[in-house]
Amino acid sequence: MWAPEKRPGEVVYAEVEDVRKVKLISEPPLHSFKRFLVPSEETLFEYKKDKMTEVKRAEKQVIFGINPVDLKAVVMLNQIFERDPWYQERMRRTLIIGQSLIPENVEQNLFQIKYEEDVLEHLQFDIFLEVQKNKYFVYTGSEEGQSVLEKFGYKNYEHIAYAGPIKEEGLDPMMVKYRDALRKTYKKEIWEEDIGARCIECGKCTLVCPTCFCFDIKDQPDLVGEGGTRKRTWGACFYNDFSEVGGGHKFLKTTAERIHFWYYHKFVRIPDQIQIMGCVGCGRCAKACPVGINIFKVLAAL
Amino acid sequence: MKNQYQPQSVKILKVEDEGSNSKLFTLDAPRGFSVRSGQFAEISLPGYGEAPFCLCSDSSLKNKFQICARNVGTVTKAMHALKVGDKVGVRGPYGRPFPLELAKNRNLLIVVGGLGLETVRTAIFEIIKNRDQYKKVQIFYGARSEDDLLFKSEYDLWMKNDIDFHLCLDKPTNKFKLSCPIIQGLVTVLFEKTSLAENPVAFLCGPPVMYKFVLKKLNKAGFLNEDIYLSLERRMHCGVGVCNHCAVGSFFVCQDGPVFSWAELKDIRGAI
Repeated sequence: MWAPEKRPGEVVYAEVEDVRKVKLISEPPLHSFKRFLVPSEETLFEYKKDKMTEVKRAEKQVIFGINPVDLKAVVMLNQIFERDPWYQERMRRTLIIGQSLIPENVEQNLFQIKYEEDVLEHLQFDIFLEVQKNKYFVYTGSEEGQSVLEKFGYKNYEHIAYAGPIKEEGLDPMMVKYRDALRKTYKKEIWEEDIGARCIECGKCTLVCPTCFCFDIKDQPDLVGEGGTRKRTWGACFYNDFSEVGGGHKFLKTTAERIHFWYYHKFVRIPDQIQIMGCVGCGRCAKACPVGINIFKVLAAL
Repeated sequence: MKNQYQPQSVKILKVEDEGSNSKLFTLDAPRGFSVRSGQFAEISLPGYGEAPFCLCSDSSLKNKFQICARNVGTVTKAMHALKVGDKVGVRGPYGRPFPLELAKNRNLLIVVGGLGLETVRTAIFEIIKNRDQYKKVQIFYGARSEDDLLFKSEYDLWMKNDIDFHLCLDKPTNKFKLSCPIIQGLVTVLFEKTSLAENPVAFLCGPPVMYKFVLKKLNKAGFLNEDIYLSLERRMHCGVGVCNHCAVGSFFVCQDGPVFSWAELKDIRGAI
């Protein structure tokens, strides 16, 4: 079981040793839940000579305390990895417990998501705790969540049927605005003269981003013998070999092209693919960036 | 859940030298595997990794298929060391092929540079099999040197089947005594030196620099953007539209391509 824990100067997701010490914290951990669903490195296959055997080793886990901003990232990842056997197996063994404390700091909720009546039906979770002054309302979002509560002897919950990621009013106007702006225009002064010139390609933003999921697949031979493993690891479009092909040609040649690719993925490609924004506005990238690139300012300049 | 990443292990049936530093591999096809021109497969060599290879064989070959690999990377280097009877992993075929149906009852111009010839070889087999379904068929093939030429032994067959085949080389010597017309220079030169067929469909495959120049010539010759099809090369890891290495605009080259019409690509930054 993983839960956010306050440590001096930071909030981190830590393994829970004593459930009585778990607290609800509105400040989101700098490193999100992402690594519990999409590990930085996972083994896909084991091979021996030519034989490639699928490996599934997901352990049962509980991710506690994901706020509504980050739950939007869970929704996105669920769609992206809809047909991924390893992700789905891990999800099957994961219990997600969300909570309603939205960060008060606007830098941790750039799109100013509010905890309103219709929020929950567009989020995916097993159990959700709505934090009231001196009590909780408990919701369930899956059969798994219901059965956990019932086994525990708690029946006073309300079940929310998931209605998909898109609200009844239609597409998110903010998504449409950014998508159209980025698709139609290329502002050299942003990509080449400003952030493309400042970015040092450290890739920290991709690590902390709860929606960055691009990956590499590579083989790791055993030191002895003819066996080894095929692994999937986090990729980062900021690294200059991301687009390199045999013979050495790179299709994303400059820092500006790569950072534009990152923004285009979140604000155009994902919306085109699944009609939701590929950014939840958690602001982690801005916090992690060593050269002060702030996604909020970039979006405002679009 | 069916695992899209699971390769099928297949036997190598034949290995032939093909041009300088390239080899043509004939492989056992997994069940249900069919080849269409422009598609690719992920070939995997446990320990070295996986890489996408375009399929280049005659689609009527039963239970086998071919890929041609130039020795330029980790996987291809390891592949070049393999022999008949060795095994490789394969998954696919993936991707959208060249739209041969669009070229039916029309003229067709194929412009390829370097290894790009591989991606249209299946289409050429197809055209020869149903030659009466296509009008004039022209092929412009540009390569660095004669040593680099792929599928040299097939040019005569193409020409015999009324395909207007032209070769462009940096330094022609005709050391292989080829019977096709050969000129010195880039493929773009041919647009001045040959008469283009009326209202044709164009299939292109080559390096980005070739596209830039050839597209200019095609536009000048009055080709419609939706009649020009080109195959994009990109780095790929998953082949199934997830890893994002091959993304171009909002397209995934592995699934939406690798063959696109120029109408689809022309407004996308960095597509070529």
